[in-house]
Formats: sequence, C-alpha cells, structure tokens
Amino acid sequence: MKEIKSKLVEAIKATYPEATEKDYEGNRLDFYVNKQCVPSVLTYLKSGLGYIHLSHIAFVDWLEEGEFELIYIVWSPSEKLKVFIRARVERENPLMPNIENIWRQANTYQREAREMYGIQFESFDAPQDLMLEDWEDIPPMRRDFDTEAYANKTYFHRSGREDALDVREAIIERSREEIPDFAKKYSR
Amino acid sequence: MREKATTLYIGPQHPGITGNMMVRLKVEGDTIVKATTEVGYLHRAFEKLQEKRNWLQSFTLMCRFCVPETDPMEESYARAVETIEGREVPERAKYIRVMVLELARLASFMLWYGGQNGSLGLYTIGQWSVGDRNYILDLFEELTGGRVYHMYIWPGGVRRDLPKGFEQRVLKTMDYIEKRLDDYDDIMFNNAIFKKRTQGVGIVDKETAIEYGVVGAVLRGTGIKSDIRIDDPYEVYDKLDFEVPTAEGGDIWARALVRRQEARQSIRIVRQVIADMPEGSVYNRIPNPQKWTLPKGDAYVRTESVRGEIGLYVASDGGLYPRRVHLRGAAYVHGITLLEDVLKGSNVADVSAIMNSLGTCPPEIER
Repeated sequence: MKEIKSKLVEAIKATYPEATEKDYEGNRLDFYVNKQCVPSVLTYLKSGLGYIHLSHIAFVDWLEEGEFELIYIVWSPSEKLKVFIRARVERENPLMPNIENIWRQANTYQREAREMYGIQFESFDAPQDLMLEDWEDIPPMRRDFDTEAYANKTYFHRSGREDALDVREAIIERSREEIPDFAKKYSR
Repeated sequence: MREKATTLYIGPQHPGITGNMMVRLKVEGDTIVKATTEVGYLHRAFEKLQEKRNWLQSFTLMCRFCVPETDPMEESYARAVETIEGREVPERAKYIRVMVLELARLASFMLWYGGQNGSLGLYTIGQWSVGDRNYILDLFEELTGGRVYHMYIWPGGVRRDLPKGFEQRVLKTMDYIEKRLDDYDDIMFNNAIFKKRTQGVGIVDKETAIEYGVVGAVLRGTGIKSDIRIDDPYEVYDKLDFEVPTAEGGDIWARALVRRQEARQSIRIVRQVIADMPEGSVYNRIPNPQKWTLPKGDAYVRTESVRGEIGLYVASDGGLYPRRVHLRGAAYVHGITLLEDVLKGSNVADVSAIMNSLGTCPPEIER
C-alpha cells in the first residue's frame, strides 16, 4: 500500500506541483488541489491511473472560514485505494468547474449542491429543482440557515395541543411539583 | 400518420413505484421516448437535523435513511465515528455486526423478491417471501427490540449481547429460509412469464455501468466482479469465505440471477459467523453522550447493501455535533440519471420492473 501511495503522489505531483497530499492510515490518501484543477486531476486519475469509480462527492460548509469544501472520492478497483480530491470555494458566489462529462452521476450531486448550498457549476444545464420546490429562502443546507426559525415561521401548532408544547410544564401544572435541578436546563 | 407523444405521470403514489417518487414519461404508443424523475416527496432533511444533534442522537436517525435495509447505515455511521475517534471495537461485536448485516440483507432480498415479481403481476411469491421475512424480523425483534429500525450497531460495538440460545434460533431460521429459496426458484426462475418479461429488458452494459458509477448487483449483473466486502473489507469480512456471484447480460434477468445467488451466500456467511464467533465483551463504553466530542477530522466508509455500495462521509470540527453527515446511497446514483436513461426506449409496462431491479429507494435519494 505504501508503494502504491508514493507512486501516486509522484504521478500527481509531476503534473500538478501545487497539489499537497496528506496520508492516512489504511487505504486512504488525500490531495488538496486548486478548484480549477479538479476536472483535469479527476480525468487524469480516471483515464490515466485506473481510478474509474467516483464513489462520492461530499459538500461541507465551513461557515467560519467563509468557504465550502467539495470532496471528490474516487476508488481504484485494481489498486484498492480511496483517493480524496479536496477543493475549496469561497462562500460568496461559489462557482465550481463541471465534471458531469467525466462521470454521469456527478449530475445528481451537482444538482444537489446547487440546490442545497447554492454552489453553481460552470455551463451546467440541468433542471433547477431536485428535492425542493419553489424555494425562495437561502439554500437550506448552509450553516447559517436556521431550520427552527423556518419551521416556526412556516408551520403552526395544531390547536388543542397547547399543553403538549412542553411536557414538563404540563406536568408541573397538573402535579404542582418542582422540576428537578438536573432537568431544568432542558426546560424552556 | 405520425403518433403524437403523450405525457404519463407514474407516482408519487403508485403500487408499482418503489416509494414516494414520480416518474414523468413521454410516450409514443407504449414506448417511452423520455423519462424524467421527480423526487422530493420524502425529503426529511436528516443531514441538516444531525448537525444540531450530538453524536449519539445523530445515530438514532441513521437507520431511518432507507427503510427496507436499515443496518448498513447504522454500521457505516458507527464505523465512521470509530475511525475519526480511533475507538477500538471488541472482536465479538464485529462478528455480531456481520451477522446482523447479513440477516438484514436476507430480509431485504425477501422484499426484493416480492417487489420484483409483484411488478410483473406474479403476486404469489411476494406473499411467500414477505411472510418468510417475518421470521427474520422476529429474530431482530428478539435481539434489538425493533423489527425494522434496530438502532443496534452503535459506535463502540453493539448495544447488547445475544440472548441465550439465539444462535440456534438463527440457524434454524436459516435452514428454513434456505429450503424456501428453492421454492422461490421453482416459481420464479422456472416461470416462463418471468423469463419473457425480464430477459433483454432494462439493459445496462459495462461501459454505461462504469460511466454512471453503478454499484452492487446491477454492476455484477454486467459481468464485473465487484463487492465492497471483498475489495475494501470491513469488520471481519476478510476472514470469511464466500463468493461474489456475477452474471452476463446486464438485464433484469441477470440482476435477478445475481441476487438469487447472493441470498444463498448471505446464509453461508451467517452460518460461518455463528460458528467462528469468539467470546468476550460486545461494547467499548462511550463517554457521557452530552459531553462526547470527537477530534477534528473526517472519514468516508463504505458498506455493501442489497442495493449496492452505501458510502457515508462524516466530518467533525472537534465539537459536540457532527459538522456534516453525508450519505451516498446506491439509489442516489441508480435512481435518477441511470433510471432516466434506461427507461428511454423501453415499454411502459416495464417501468416498475426496471425500478425494482435497479434498487431504487426514494428515501435514500432524498434523505
């Protein structure tokens, strides 16, 4: 495994000198690349080095750092190695290169990223809505989207169930007993 | 005279659809010229909810991602958390995990038998197999307290040890199921209707399979030998002896042949696991869940389910809650882009059979 990894690092570094790698225990190897390089690195891995299976594209919102991270996880059936290609894109007007022509299933991932995070992809022509319909708020999977506030604004509590809002308060009212100290912090 | 194209809507509530999703078909005569999938009827935002729940509370949501086979997601989550944290799992717990995973696979195969045949109008086998599935669910109920959602494989091991005499009851059920699989063969694979309706229908060839990132039985149905349990072994699969069946053709028939043999392999694995299971503890205690933080880092783990590879990406920022949990279900890949392309050119009557055969599971697509 060590040999396979060092060979791959060599091959990637020869073509993309700015890429940095991080080695993990087991069959995992990470590369941090520039977002513009993503399609060419993936094409090279797929057609040149035998990493034919795109296992996953994960999206993470690093709100504090003002960036989104996209992690392309590819797998080589012959080398038995998982390679993570990690790229960051700024949160303001995020634009990523389109990799739909390398792996067809990237289409669904990119549609989800666009809908849930607002990440746009270059010349990406796919139907706008995937899971949501007529969504007007900020993309809902972003960290600064407040699900609770949205739910309180959009939905209403069923009438006749006012006492069920907080079970503990209802119990106090009925039994006239104090809430135990340890439970107080969970009460409203 | 040129035939005019008609638009047909199948779903979101339709007995032939494998859950709540819609397929919009443009048909000429009874041939589909364009198919568009519409998902969104089941979006529950689990991944968003998990960002506001601690590591243990998140675990209880994992099994709810996909109903027919709930344990691979639990196992993925447990393993991802253990990878980030570097937590050891007792050997006995690993064996129990494999046993539960394979029982879940068997239960899911039983549902598939019903769904696949039901989609072709062969209802008898569905009544048999879903009835037989209950014997496996009984075992789950005894072991975990739940029939469908188990919440049993959690970070650090499994929640409790096997009850007394449980192994014997599992083996007895396996003997029964094995006998029943022969009956299913008679009624399904020796049935002219099933052959006629499935051979040459819903073809996925090798090139398409690789280009679309196809996994699981659909990939093995094109003749490519690929199984996460062998290629990227987890738990104790590297110590077990089992075969990865493949078939040629890439049609529904080939995929059915693969699944038929896989069900038998699952029984074989369960028997081995019970024979080899060591004694010992089953759980390395986790800290107080209210204060349990994981180190900064991430992990991506993969599990083989009946529908194919299930991947789970988990990222931790060093806090009490997951930074991100991102599931890659097999249906996520098969259910949208691939399904749309396979449906193109096929007959309206085959939509449901093709969806079942590709293992489309809408809750897993939307999460």
